[in-house]
Amino acid sequence: MFDKVLIANRGEIAVRVIRACREMGIGTVAVYSEADSEALHTLLADEAICIGPAKSQDSYLNMERILSAAVAMGADAIHPGFGFLSENARFAELCSLCGMKFIGPDSQVIAKMGNKAEARNTMIKAGVPVVPGGETAVRTLKEARAAAEEVGYPVMIKAALGGGGKGMRTVQNPEELEAGFLNAQREAVKGFSDDTMYIERYVENPRHIEFQILADEHGNVIHLGERDCSVQRNHQKLIEEAPSATIPEELRREMGKMAVRAAKAVGYTNAGTVEFLVDKENRYYFIEMNTRIQVEHPVTEAVTGMDLIKAQLHIAAGEALNFTQEEVQLSGHAIECRINARMAGKLTNLQVPGGMGIRVDSAMYNGCMVPPYYDAMLLKLIVHGGDRAEALKKIQCALGELVIEGVETNLEEQYEIFTHPVYEAGPVDTGFIEKYFKE
Amino acid sequence: MRRLFKKTPSNSYIKIETKGTKAQPEVPQGMWRKCNKCSAPIFSEDVKTGNYICPKCGGYFRVHARRRIEMLADGGSFEEWDEGLPVSNPLGLSGYPKKLSELREKTGLDEAVITGKMSMDGHETAVGVMDGRFIMGSMGKNVGEKIAGATERATALGLPLILFCCSGGARMQEGIVSLMQMAKTAAALKRHSDAGLLFISVLTDPTTGGVTASFAMLGDVILAEPGALIGFAGPRVIEQTIGQKLPEGFQRAEFLVEHGFVDAILPREKSREMLTRLLAFHEKADGRMEPEGRSCMQEAFKTKDGGLLEKADGQNGSGGEEIISAWERVKRSRKQGRLTGLDYIQEIFTDFTELHGDRAYGDDKAIVGGIAYFHGRPVTVIAQQKGRNTRENIERNFSMPSPEGYRKALRLMREAEKFGRPVFCFMDTPGAFCGMEAEERGQGEAIARNLFELSALKVPVLSVVIGEGGSGGALALAVADEVWMMENAVYSVLSPEGFASILWKDSKRADEAAEVMKITAKDLKDLGIVERVIPEAVPVGKKNAREICENLEVGFEEFLARYGKLSGEELTAHRYERFRNI
Repeated sequence: MFDKVLIANRGEIAVRVIRACREMGIGTVAVYSEADSEALHTLLADEAICIGPAKSQDSYLNMERILSAAVAMGADAIHPGFGFLSENARFAELCSLCGMKFIGPDSQVIAKMGNKAEARNTMIKAGVPVVPGGETAVRTLKEARAAAEEVGYPVMIKAALGGGGKGMRTVQNPEELEAGFLNAQREAVKGFSDDTMYIERYVENPRHIEFQILADEHGNVIHLGERDCSVQRNHQKLIEEAPSATIPEELRREMGKMAVRAAKAVGYTNAGTVEFLVDKENRYYFIEMNTRIQVEHPVTEAVTGMDLIKAQLHIAAGEALNFTQEEVQLSGHAIECRINARMAGKLTNLQVPGGMGIRVDSAMYNGCMVPPYYDAMLLKLIVHGGDRAEALKKIQCALGELVIEGVETNLEEQYEIFTHPVYEAGPVDTGFIEKYFKE
Repeated sequence: MRRLFKKTPSNSYIKIETKGTKAQPEVPQGMWRKCNKCSAPIFSEDVKTGNYICPKCGGYFRVHARRRIEMLADGGSFEEWDEGLPVSNPLGLSGYPKKLSELREKTGLDEAVITGKMSMDGHETAVGVMDGRFIMGSMGKNVGEKIAGATERATALGLPLILFCCSGGARMQEGIVSLMQMAKTAAALKRHSDAGLLFISVLTDPTTGGVTASFAMLGDVILAEPGALIGFAGPRVIEQTIGQKLPEGFQRAEFLVEHGFVDAILPREKSREMLTRLLAFHEKADGRMEPEGRSCMQEAFKTKDGGLLEKADGQNGSGGEEIISAWERVKRSRKQGRLTGLDYIQEIFTDFTELHGDRAYGDDKAIVGGIAYFHGRPVTVIAQQKGRNTRENIERNFSMPSPEGYRKALRLMREAEKFGRPVFCFMDTPGAFCGMEAEERGQGEAIARNLFELSALKVPVLSVVIGEGGSGGALALAVADEVWMMENAVYSVLSPEGFASILWKDSKRADEAAEVMKITAKDLKDLGIVERVIPEAVPVGKKNAREICENLEVGFEEFLARYGKLSGEELTAHRYERFRNI
């Protein structure tokens, strides 16, 4: 096992990783920007080192600084968390060049899955179903038009290097294509310095179902069931549940097998997520693989009773998985809700809920600062109940107890979603928010 | 808060078990380097794959000569010339031969320049690349020898030549012999140029001293890498001499463009594309100007052209259309939103490559010029450029050219003549710039020189008044084989306001003046000042650009069909008569 792990991240995920390391007796090094000298992860870690100014580009995204910090502090592994450098193949490669263990998959796998087209082609070859279209890269409007005709409307325009809804547009008919394509491409060029776009069939209001994968370095791959992340606004997840209330047991088993097949097809190691879209006829399509731990991993932890961060550390240290697919048993129902800040500022009062089946993952404390430079997520509330109904009641009550003062948050909106009759009645699709919560 | 948390209980058991069995992580030697411009640590790999540009600050690193050729040449196409010349030590300086042999060992080069021939995207060219590691790329006998030799070979083989300059100047260790290399290389280039061949000089950091004062500044096209130091005297010498600190950016590539000595900045990632494009422009021109393609003048005029000319007139004058007053034409010609010179260039030509500077004083933004293709044929295009808004207008000086603008136009026309490219000019100016600086630099002389030289330019010249044809300011680009006008353009000796105020002491009578001055396209066609009037679709503007330019394009084809056949003598004779008869 590692002696000392450097956590190349901030916020609640950094805290989450530090906690897992502490429980395992592994030393921790936090890195922090000048804006984060009083942040919880900085204070909680055994050691902390400043890696530059507030701007992510100069600190949490600065590979040279993070690597030199890791070497200087004598760390033997780096946990990238999510966001920042977690899916940066170059960073993973540099870590391995320095003999530093990158806690995640191999850099080549990251690169392969990071390129949407390559990921898709790999899946097609492996026999994993994908959304029709998107075979060829398009760069001009003319090419886009031809591709859209071939795939059939409605279509989705996507940037090859895109993510988080950037460089993405849905187009219902040929008349909308020009504006949609050019806008998406402009965003792609601005955000990712690349104008390569793909066009695929738009699966209207599907459910977003993703499977958690664990793969060790000895060829064992298992899945830990699915998460339903259909409650989204502009392709950003708001609420996650496990298991999905809409997936029949047989389909779960089949999709789980496909997820494992997908992971094996790319020689995946460590924790990862295979994302699928499921349409109204329960047909499912691979969309992408996330080569990192995800924000919503705690719902899987709740229903499987497994610590995913510890699993990541064990796998990265070269240990084999010590359980089989059959031994994975899902129990009860878990729901996660993300509380985001709407502004930067000082958090003057924080009162978190507690009790059985209530978990709060956060890097906030009374009197801490919410800096304006980074992701706005303040806190994750995860509940675990015997079934969906119980979990839903729990999260309603817990959200009712949660108090955050000093900065504006989306707490009220989240509460409204959980108490919405349509959501309460159960399964919703990705069109839910747009339909009932128009901004 | 910091002290509130208990730290991780150390798990010494695990440590003892694993320590010693694995190597401590460390950064491998050479993985990082420091940028010598911004001091940031950068990955060596990024520098290599990123054209030797700092990924942090965008600063340019010097490129080794062989690597530069690798970056540009088609794989395996480079053939080296004059390798391994015997060491030259004209002063018999002790220690110098030893230093040279050490450098040869260290750099793998025999001298500060590599020469040879290569192809880029199939375009063959002679090439020389200097390497700053070799006594700062200084020019001694062997450097001069290799450059002159490559130039001679290029002349003999009919090849263009590209030289990448990087040098501190003459090589002191070789005394006066090194000074003579300046003359030797310049003389070889003169012969290469007289053979009608293209020389592209690429100035990289640094290009100074005797190299700047010889071959580096003699390119038909001179390009410079961003931020490169280029000058005759080095900045330190200048500072010591004048006892002052030099301003930021002095003698940098961008400064040279501004001061008219460099045609364009050449970003490294675009080098291959740009150089290939320039080679292609000049290859085609060579092919088209075959002497047997020329016929005698009379034959060319036997077939009277019809088509567009009559059509244009028909639409313009007769047909019972509304009569548009001269003053209305004046207003239309000045209207914001009319197509500007660059609009015409973009619409009619392809691959327009702008070349800057008069090679003497500055780059006048009121005139743009460069090389482009017209229906696949390389041509030189020059236009007076109005701004599309106030900010642009200030930058373009409201399209009122300064002497350096006219001198740039003349330089580009002479180049066109050398390479047999037809010239298209677009005039749109209220007049030549009236200002102290313009007078100081000889506005009158610059205009006069253009009339003088243009009258004898041995390639076809067509000038089109696209907006305001303001007096001598327009005429300086209009001593052409034919002059055409857009339907709503005006061309006059003076603005109607000026005319009214001089003759009638009342500039408010400009509308009246416009009528009597005979300045509209139709009037001038009747007077025989212009050959064609090109109809404009209404409303005149970007929306109708295609329609408007289509008329011109058809006309240009006809113009080239007629004048492209003529010899230089026939062309200049015809041009002489055209003005002699007015």
